[in-house]
Amino acid sequence: MKRDPIVIVVVAMVISLLLVFGVSRARHRPDVPDMTTSFKNQMAPDFSLPSLDGKTTVHLSDYRGKAVLLNFWATWCVPCKIEMPWFVELQKEYGAQGLQVVGVSMDDSSPEDVATFAKNMGVNYPIVVGKESVEDAYGGVQFLPATFYIGRDGKVTDKVFGLKGKHEIQDYIKKALAQNSAPATATPTAQIVLAPGKAAN
Amino acid sequence: MRRQVAGKTFLGIFLLISLFCAQLFSQDDIPGKKSPSITMGEVPLTVVTRGKGGSVDLQFRIGAGFHVNSNTPTQEYLIPTALKLNAPTDIVVGRITYPAGEQMAFSFAPDEKLSVYSGAFTIGVIVRPLVSVLPGKYEFRGKLKYQACDKAACFPPKELPVQFEIKVVKNPPPHVKNPAQSPHVHS
Repeated sequence: MKRDPIVIVVVAMVISLLLVFGVSRARHRPDVPDMTTSFKNQMAPDFSLPSLDGKTTVHLSDYRGKAVLLNFWATWCVPCKIEMPWFVELQKEYGAQGLQVVGVSMDDSSPEDVATFAKNMGVNYPIVVGKESVEDAYGGVQFLPATFYIGRDGKVTDKVFGLKGKHEIQDYIKKALAQNSAPATATPTAQIVLAPGKAAN
Repeated sequence: MRRQVAGKTFLGIFLLISLFCAQLFSQDDIPGKKSPSITMGEVPLTVVTRGKGGSVDLQFRIGAGFHVNSNTPTQEYLIPTALKLNAPTDIVVGRITYPAGEQMAFSFAPDEKLSVYSGAFTIGVIVRPLVSVLPGKYEFRGKLKYQACDKAACFPPKELPVQFEIKVVKNPPPHVKNPAQSPHVHS
């Protein structure tokens, strides 16, 4: 039986494409979040992280009912430093509407050094000391800044890697604030552990 | 003729599918998707006379689109690029000379000048074998600590293993002089 060479070529191409697709899917395990995981409309992974002074533990769930801007940063990250004064201003501007900025420090240096840095930057929002398990839960934060915008219901509205403009950040905040606080899992809204500015002070 | 048309159609469809897949799998909109890389060039064997100093140049290359802080960054909290070496016994590591940083401003901080290295840069190391060192080859190992960023994101500090060899000799290599020209022309 004579086979049409075009059919053979097409079949080979389709098999190659399926292989490429299969390998790509296999590399990305959906159960393990990574940098490509969308997180959109998913519940933000909860965490318990110590404040810079080590006196309090901050849980993300403490802020349920508020829109949270969760910012992974480090003192050695210049783009992170650029964003910080914007976060300070945006916390002032949108705090009354229910925004809470939370910084997660990914520094290796001592919490005291980070606290001094934050104080010098005039930070008016809580900063917690990050740890690997939280990093992994958020897809392995391999570079900074990485910011997650979380709605009042605890679901991620946006995740942003790298530096963005202040206006873009403002848009993400508005979107997070607009997210209704009707959580599917009725977790009671806990009180805020740290008053704004306490961590930096 | 028909077969040719069918072949071209199939090829066109295949190319479209390929482009779609490439688009689907690419995440180039994510800054920092590519990891920064620094590579060290091969170091030619440097001959050093014992009791005297010699200079070794280590050449590094940073991947395109990335920069690292210079050895003297403009801000206190920035992590400088720094070389640490473990020398063999009785060989002293002298002055390490870093190039001056390039003063660059980036889109994320147009008003702020940063002192950085990008592309290729060379670090000079002075090595000084004591007179007691036996002639031969000696290996140096160490690490280059750096912290890289691209135009919008920064990566955690990393260390690049550094390795090179020197050849210690008893006396300086003799100067090879051209023999004096004979006044006679030999035919």
